[in-house]
Amino acid sequence: MSSRARDAHDQAADWLVRRQNPEWSVRDQADFDFWLNASDGNKAAYWRLKHSWDRADRIRALGLRSNTTRALFGKWIGGVAAAILVMIMGASYFVWPQFSAIHPVETRIFQTAVGGHEQLILAEGSKVELNTGSSLRTAISGRGREVWLEKGEAYFEVTHAPDHPFVVHAGDHKVTVLGTKFAVRRDNGKVVVSVVEGRVQLADDKEGHTSRLSILARGDRAVAQGNTTLVSSQPVGQIENALSWRSGMLTFDATPLEDVAAEFNRYNRVQILIVDPQAKLIPVGGRFPASKAEAFTRLLHDAYGLKVEVGASQIKVSR
Amino acid sequence: MADDQALEAWFCEHVLPLERALTSFIRRNWRAEDEVQDLRHDVYAMAIAGARKEFPADSRAYVFAITRNHLINRAKRAQIVSFDHVVDLEHVDPRIDMLAFERQLSAREELRRFQIGLDLLSPRIREVVLLRKVEGLDARQTASRMGIGIDAVNRQLAMGMKALADFMLGGTGKVIRQSASRRSTRRNRP
Repeated sequence: MSSRARDAHDQAADWLVRRQNPEWSVRDQADFDFWLNASDGNKAAYWRLKHSWDRADRIRALGLRSNTTRALFGKWIGGVAAAILVMIMGASYFVWPQFSAIHPVETRIFQTAVGGHEQLILAEGSKVELNTGSSLRTAISGRGREVWLEKGEAYFEVTHAPDHPFVVHAGDHKVTVLGTKFAVRRDNGKVVVSVVEGRVQLADDKEGHTSRLSILARGDRAVAQGNTTLVSSQPVGQIENALSWRSGMLTFDATPLEDVAAEFNRYNRVQILIVDPQAKLIPVGGRFPASKAEAFTRLLHDAYGLKVEVGASQIKVSR
Repeated sequence: MADDQALEAWFCEHVLPLERALTSFIRRNWRAEDEVQDLRHDVYAMAIAGARKEFPADSRAYVFAITRNHLINRAKRAQIVSFDHVVDLEHVDPRIDMLAFERQLSAREELRRFQIGLDLLSPRIREVVLLRKVEGLDARQTASRMGIGIDAVNRQLAMGMKALADFMLGGTGKVIRQSASRRSTRRNRP
């Protein structure tokens, strides 16, 4: 299968490289102009690469040195994991200088609207995905990494840093992580932690007193509410299903329709209301796009013969 | 009619900052993950073509409108037409993606992204990029410093440029390696 984007970018990169070098002739310029004017796609690719490459001139401000001129510091250990999103940062001078230089504490707030989905990278490289209607406050400094999930749900891929544990505060609970992939969801007084990879420590955290620690590992799902924390071990597929929102989908497995509607309602301004008490109990299974509430109710009509009335702010489902 | 210089400035200042939101939008409304990059590329080309006649008042709305229409047209032309897919696309409201929390990165944050992007490059590519950018060496000088051939240096630099662009504009910056026959062995997933 050909790729228009890849071909254009390969050519654009080759041109950009050639233009960097001193042996650039009139003939080269003519060839380049011909290629650039051949299509707007070529322009898009070239301008895109050039724009980022020009901004890279600021690298000088980072005070970095190439390896061959830093023999003094020895060979640095910087690893690039093959997996798409895990970054394992070696403890080397080159990798951390900016981290220890981050002070005073930088506080940021990130928020998503209803139906929103935002991906962030924190100052030390950890990746965060915010789900619908969420709010996350972060404080990353040379001394520590703390975030507060003020509402909603977030998925984390935390860079490994043994000297700087990553802490997620959610209500009266706190999740301490060294480096791993997990999600935290906050629903009023209930906090749900799902671990995809690695280990996290979940604790109650009221007024600074930490108590009742549980260690959660891959496949564990903890539901903490008030004084109760319930940990269950799930087949990994089930943890992934709970996180299918990351690709814009909601997954259900024999879930009562009432709960399904509530879940859709997190992602959509137009709310689904199940009026009939028996309809509320209908078990639903499958995978649906989160933003397509109305399409889902049409399915309910087709599959169960339910009556669907679509309004401006509400979809009423009855028998 | 706009000239190329003005077009380039407009494209870099108003369209490229949308890349992350745009990619999420396409990904969420298109079934084939491996076509996402091509679709985005098409959108960029069409945006440039349209802006050549007249710059849009609201570049963001303009780009998202192009994207939505492009997806609809492609879905209709696809060999296996999914009626549901087309109907759903027509009901898609890109405003949610447009409203998603987007900030212009401050200079400091951009620098930090850069450092992270650099760290994601393989050691050799990172070295070539640094020698070029920090010490201003050309290909010949870089080649002799690193003890590799000029062609290798140029190849590494090209890969570094592409990966850095992908990362800076919002993706993961994975580097594709190409064999001598110029066929990639892995897909680039922004």
